[in-house]
Formats: sequence, C-alpha cells, structure tokens
Amino acid sequence: MNRLGTVIGFTFKNKVRTKSFLITTLLLALLMTIGIHLPFLIQLFTGDDSGSSNKIGIAAEGHPEIAQQIEDYVSALPENELQFVPLEQGDAAALNKQAQDQKLAGYLEIAPASAQGTSEAFPTVQYVSKSGSIPADLQAALQPAIESAKTRFITQGALSDEQIKQLTTPAQLTAVSYDKLAGTDTGGTDEAEGSKFSPMNFITVYVLMTLFFFSAMLTGNMIASEVTSEKSSRVMEILITSVAPLTQMFGKVIGVFLVGLVQIGIFGVTIAINLMLPYNRNVLAGFDLDFSQMPLDVLAYGLIFYILGYFLYALLYAAVGSIVSRTEDLGQAVTPLTMLSLAAFYIGIFSLNNTNSLLMKISSFVPFTSPTTMIARIGLGEIAFWEILVSLVLLLAAILFFGWLSAKIYRTGVLMYGKRPSFKELRKAMKAYKI
Amino acid sequence: MTERLVLQSVVKRYGNKTAVDHISLGVQEGEIYGLLGANGAGKTTTMRMVLGLIYPDEGSITYGGRPYGGDVQRIVGYLPEERGLYPKVKVSEQIIYLAKLRGMNGSEAEQNLKYWMKKFEAEEYYDKRIEELSKGNQQKMGFIAAVVHRPEIIILDEAFSGLDPVNVELLKLAVKELRDQGASILFSTHRMEHVEELCRNITILDRSKTVLQGDIREIKNRFPREQILLKTSSAVTGLDQIAGVVGVEGDPESYLIRINDEAAAVPVLTEAMRQSEVRHFEVKEPTLNQIFIRSVGERHE
Repeated sequence: MNRLGTVIGFTFKNKVRTKSFLITTLLLALLMTIGIHLPFLIQLFTGDDSGSSNKIGIAAEGHPEIAQQIEDYVSALPENELQFVPLEQGDAAALNKQAQDQKLAGYLEIAPASAQGTSEAFPTVQYVSKSGSIPADLQAALQPAIESAKTRFITQGALSDEQIKQLTTPAQLTAVSYDKLAGTDTGGTDEAEGSKFSPMNFITVYVLMTLFFFSAMLTGNMIASEVTSEKSSRVMEILITSVAPLTQMFGKVIGVFLVGLVQIGIFGVTIAINLMLPYNRNVLAGFDLDFSQMPLDVLAYGLIFYILGYFLYALLYAAVGSIVSRTEDLGQAVTPLTMLSLAAFYIGIFSLNNTNSLLMKISSFVPFTSPTTMIARIGLGEIAFWEILVSLVLLLAAILFFGWLSAKIYRTGVLMYGKRPSFKELRKAMKAYKI
Repeated sequence: MTERLVLQSVVKRYGNKTAVDHISLGVQEGEIYGLLGANGAGKTTTMRMVLGLIYPDEGSITYGGRPYGGDVQRIVGYLPEERGLYPKVKVSEQIIYLAKLRGMNGSEAEQNLKYWMKKFEAEEYYDKRIEELSKGNQQKMGFIAAVVHRPEIIILDEAFSGLDPVNVELLKLAVKELRDQGASILFSTHRMEHVEELCRNITILDRSKTVLQGDIREIKNRFPREQILLKTSSAVTGLDQIAGVVGVEGDPESYLIRINDEAAAVPVLTEAMRQSEVRHFEVKEPTLNQIFIRSVGERHE
C-alpha cells in the first residue's frame, strides 16, 4: 500500500509538471473562456449600433391600420425593445432621407399591391435599411406581427382576436407511450416526462459523455506512452524488480487519473468563474438555463460510470503500452482502443434523441460502451433501476477481468523488446515466464 | 562464510531451447562473484531469474535461505546492462523514488544519495535531468540507483562498459567498498582484467552450460603455463630449436616464447643465459582471457 502511494505520488508529480500538461491545460481553459464569452462578444459586436436599431420607421402608404396592428403586436411582445416611428409620405429618396436623419435602423415600407389596384390584396411589406438585410431578431419579431396583420386584413373582422391567435399558432403533435397513456407505466423513474427532456438534463448527459470520451482517450494515451517510455528507457527493469507489476500498474493508472481530475477541476473552476461574471449571467439566462435544475441523480450515476469506465480503459491502455517497445509504434497499437472509445462516444451522441432504441439498450450493458450509453439512458430515457445495477455489475466484472489480464500482459510485455508481439507470441511468453 | 545467494541446478527453457542448463553457484557475504560467458550464453537469463523477473523451470534460488518474495526485492540492487533511468526526471527525484520503492524512507535515501554523489564527484548533477548528463555520468547515476537502498545482494550487469579509465577506477573502488561492507555481488562482464582484479570465484557459461567454475587461482593452476616472457640484454638465437618450444615471438631482447611443456622452461633459461645476460625470466600463468577463449572459443570451432 505504501509503495502504491509512492508510485501514485511520483506519477502525479511528474505528469503535472510536464510542459505539455501545462500548455494543454492553459490552452483549453483559454478556449473555454473564449467559448463562454462568445455569445456576449457577438452581442457586443452586433450591439454596436443598438442605440439606434431599436427605432424602426414605418411608412404605411394608405394602410395606417396595418401599421398600427404591427405596432400593437410587437409592443405586446414580452421584453420588446422596438420602437416605431411613423414616417411622412414621400418617394423613396425622401423616405431614405428621413430614416437617415432620424438615425433609424431601417424602415418598413408597406406598399399596396398596386399592380392590380384592388384594395382586397394584402400590401407587400419590405424592410429597407442601409445593408439591405434584416437582422434575425428583428425578423423574428416582425414576421408574426405581419402575419397577424395579414390575417386580420383578410378576415376583416370576421374572426375574434382569440380565433386569430389560434390560427397563427402552429398545431402541436406530441408523442406518448401506450403505458403512459393508459397510466400503467411501471418504470423505475416516475418523474414527469416533461422534466426528463429539460435542457439541463440534455446538457449534463452531453457534457458527461464528452468528458468521458476525452478523458478516457487523453489519459489513456498518457498512461500508454508513460509505460512505453519506461520500457524503452529500461527503467522498467529496475521498477519491476522493486514493485509488484500490479501495484505499479494501478499506481500509474490512479496517478494519471488524479492528474485528469486536477485538469477537469481547473476547467470546472474556469467555467464557473466565467459564468459568474455578471454580463455572462444575463446572456445565459437568455438561453433559459437554470443550474439549480441540475439533475443530481444523473450526475451521481454519471460519476460512478465515469470512474469505472475510466479504469476499464486505463488498464487496457497500460497493457497495450507494455507490449510496445518504442513510442513511435504506440499510435498503431492503441488504435483498437481508440476505435472502441470512439464507438462508445458516437453511439451515445447519435442516440441522444432516441435513447430507447435497441442499440442503446444493448450497448448500455456492454462494459466498453455502457459508461456513455447508460448515462444517456438514465438522463434522457426510460430505465429501470435493475438495469442500472446489472450494467454496473457487468462493468465491475469487466474491470476485474481486464485488470487481471492487463496485469499478466503487462508483466510479460515489459520484458519483451523488439517487434510488437502477436497474441500468440504473448501467450507463449506468458507460459515461458510462468506468469 | 555463509553463502547468501544460492542457485541450485537452475534450469530455464524457452520452448525447445534450453537457455540455462543446470547452473549452480553460491555468492558469499562480502564477495564479488564473476559470471562470465560469451554473448547468448545465458548470463542475462540467469540474472533475470535471480532478480525474480522470470522463474526457473527447475532448481531453486534462495536469498539468505529464503525463497523469492516481496521482502527479497528490498535487499536486492540491480544495475541493468542498458542503464535504466527516466531521461526527463531529475536525478535526485528518481533515485529517491527508486529507493522508496525498495522500502527505504525518504530522508535516509537522500542522505545515502548525497554520500554517493560526493564519492563520485557528481554533486553538481543532483538537480539535473538524466538526459542532460554524459553517458559516463548517467552510468554512475545508474550505479547509485542500484545501491542507494543498501542492498545485501547486488547484481551488476556490465557495470563498467562505456566508461573512461578514470571512472572505471572510481566505480571499482565503490564496488570494493560495498564488498568490504559485506554485500554479495554478482558481477557480469566481458572484461577479464576486471574479473581478475575483483572476483575470487567465477563461473564461465557457454551455450547455457557451466564450463568452468571455482576459485580463479585454482582454475589458473589447472591450466598449463604456456608462455615464457624473456628479456635479455642482447639478441638470443636458436630458442625455437629447444624441445617443447612451439614458437618465438617478439623483438630482440624481449621474447614471448610459446611452449607446450613446462619442462622446456629450464633449457630455455640455460640457453638464454649462455648467450646473453637475462634481465627478466617468467613462466607466465595463463590469463583469464586465455582461459576464457580456450574454454569457450575452442568449442565454437
């Protein structure tokens, strides 16, 4: 136990101090900071002319009632910041001049469909501005306003306001299971369907999966290259005569795991600090995110699966590192493991909207893919408690089995130099070494 | 004297090939034991078995009477043929780490490390990384790493290869010091003069079998003396006519005479004294080099 601590300490200290670790951590933290600030920055840039963009002119040539309806509709919107300024009639040049004189963002020109000269046709509406384009948020506010006005214009008072409102809202198509509809759903999670698909759940699952994928791959590679470099510098021969290989391997895996935790911790703090900044808080509120809604059960399960999954991959990476003699050959040797973690990641990501598919059900019991797919099912799908338990037991069994196998491979591999051995050669060597 | 490290008819096979075939040897306390052999004779396999890296198929290895185990690891020190140290880690850190792994506490390890650093006049490398050091200095650090935890059994595989004469002397002194403190040292090398200087007992391996074993003096006495070194004040002729003389080499006044019978020594001396003044006359005992070549090389032909 004492020696295990020594190995963990040495691995941790040396990994944390490497330049590559410092640089990647700082760089990623910086990228995250920029990423979080992006919405704010975008707002800052687009908001440069926001002083005037609240004001929009309206030139309602002969259709003042349409202009009035648009104004009414928009001003009734929550958090409306738009102001309408009626413009005097005139030709295009005169209107442009008025808009520019009053520093308007642009103006709406409501022109009667004068080609036919009939007053029944709804007039064409165009937005005139310097750039000739319409900002997305403005369009989002104006489009329904104009449609509403159009409905009113066509029905000409035949419909009540309530009917018009119903007409303009799109019909809802919802989906529900037989069991749920019949009220016979006996699933282990009795939370309401609505809360399951809250954005916070989605984000938690997404973040956990991404975190798992990246840390399994990055730390896995770290471990493998560490083992290989120990082997190629022949420190291994001394190490293996001082410490049992199992102690050595677990020491390394735990040490690098701690390094990973520190890194994640740094990122977490970076994100937290950035989110705390007052101007960012406003922006996030705009995304309708509430961190108090964080699903704690998903987070807890996620953590358990994350740690167990990490160990499963890390042990295998250590074993692969031990059979390679030179760092150059390492990339090729770890490819199968990389593929495996990629599969786990993509099955999870692509099934986020369909967590109850057969593929997800199967892969949530397969130890290599369960760390990602199980989280998705817990967070976003329907799952019974026994399913989680079975998956955990399978994962634990896999860790024990592959830990045992990895220790054997490790013990044999570290003594085999030269060309990467095949499985047959490994088996033969294990026999010869009596391991 | 008790034998601390004992190998009893140890056998190791890799598939059909026998790498080590019934080797027995014993290393006493305070002894440097020479393990010699051509490349591929089984030296490294033997050492790896002693280190517990691989297990023998037959026979036994005991350490102070005990079989291999976790506590044995703590009393063994090992300097591999290819220096094993972390290239990118500070000298002091990794040596203390290795000492800790072998059960020594940190402060004691640091003390020992400083002692050896001073002894090897390498104190300035304390905070350097291994990759910054010259090959010779790296080797010294490897040696320190092998002995820093005060092992009772030390295994040195080609400890002196690649070192300049000054450093060889430094390391030789260190090895002798450890011997005098009571360590049992298993020593392998290709440099026979080092073996003659350091070891009392040797084993010569050839193609996985023991071909010669025992005290160096006795081994030498077992081999016939075949060379006479003769130095005279003027040229001597006709030495090759004497019965028993096989050949005469060397320049006038200093001859190396090969004989196949030690009885030829007296006639050679008499003849030389008759012709000239003899300054030096020696019936040379065979060097370990010659013995090695005879016992290993002849079989290869």
